[in-house]
Formats: sequence, structure tokens, C-alpha cells
Amino acid sequence: MSRLRTLIAVAGLALPLAATAAGNSANGKAIAEKICAACHGADGAKPVAPENPILAGQYNDYIVKALSDYKSGKRANPVMKGFAEPLSKKDIEDLAAWFSGQHSVLHFQR
Amino acid sequence: MKIKLHTGLLAGALLCAATLAQAQQAAPAGDPKEAHKKIAMCEGCHGIPGYKTAYPQVYHVPKLGGQQATYISNALHAYKSGQRQHPSMRGIAASLSDKDIADLSAYYSTAAEAHK
Repeated sequence: MSRLRTLIAVAGLALPLAATAAGNSANGKAIAEKICAACHGADGAKPVAPENPILAGQYNDYIVKALSDYKSGKRANPVMKGFAEPLSKKDIEDLAAWFSGQHSVLHFQR
Repeated sequence: MKIKLHTGLLAGALLCAATLAQAQQAAPAGDPKEAHKKIAMCEGCHGIPGYKTAYPQVYHVPKLGGQQATYISNALHAYKSGQRQHPSMRGIAASLSDKDIADLSAYYSTAAEAHK
């Protein structure tokens, strides 16, 4: 009985945590198609201009940091500020979940 | 008619040449081989798989292999000028010449996918 109670308590704690960390990839894809794809390419894998970074396959938490910094203005970029400003914290996490799970030529390099 | 066509072609060619000259001026040609002597200062963070920053925020340092050369170059110049803020990147970028930045951008953007 007490073991069951512990299990329920642990599950109750773990579920919302997991949901927060992962972000909703499907929702991220929907946002990405509307506002990101025009410059960063479909799936963020093939940017349309050399100054736009590849996003597909980048680390999830780095994308969260970049978008958060654009939103706050810490990273000053007039174009990205315009796109990042209306995004909620959840939108940012969802976008990061989507882009980090896509494939591109981007890779870890020594 | 012929003259008009020629004028149009000439104007087009001049525009192309001007654009090309501007692009070349903006990005000095980088040599990936030259970068081999310079990547030691990058490897400490970007060369460790899954490496994370420690303070004040914890996140993975970005993957650079295969990234667009112009983006990397712009990022390094922005760190160097202080326009983009990050204590360690500011310090490292400040020590780089325009040629160093071009070489490093060429190195990372053309790096073959040996490590995932």
C-alpha cells in the first residue's frame, strides 16, 4: 500500500517535469512552418541565405537560449527580435524540440 | 533593338560584378587547413561531445560542424566587437584576426561528418 502510494507520488512528480523539458515537437513544427521556414528552410536544415544558421540537429537547450536571448534583447538582432518577441516560453521550448530532432549536415566537430 | 539588348546585358553583368566584389570584400577567403593551428582554443568547449556551460546559465555549447561559414564568421565578429555578449567567446574572439575568423569559419563549415 505504501509502496503504491510512493509510486503514484513519484509518477505525479515526474510526468510534468518530463513534459516541460521535452517541449511539444508537433506544435513546434506548426510554428516553424509559419515563421521560421521562410529563412531557415524546411525543417531548419537548408537556410535560404548564408548568414542564416542551420537549426536542424542543433542542441535543444542552445536553441532555447538563443530564442530567449533574442526575445529579451540580450542578443541584439532586429530581425530575430521581431520573430522571438511574440513567442511564449512554451512556444520556444516546442520550437527547440522540433528543430533539435531534425536532420541536417550540422554535427559535433572536434 | 540590338543596342538596347546589349545595354541590358552590360548593366546585368556590371551588377553581377559589383555584387560579387561586395561579397568577396565582406568575407575574406578562409583556408580550413590554416585553421588546424587555431582550433585548440575552440576545442576546450566545442570539441567535447555534449559539453555544457557552467555559469550563469547551463546549456550545451552549439554544434559547429557543417554550420554555414557566413553565420560562424558573423558570430565571431559580433563577439569580437562586443555586439554579441558572452564572456569567454568575447575573450577568444577578441584575439582573432579577420583571417583567423575566415579560416575557422571555413574549417567548421566544411568539416566532414566524422563525429555525431
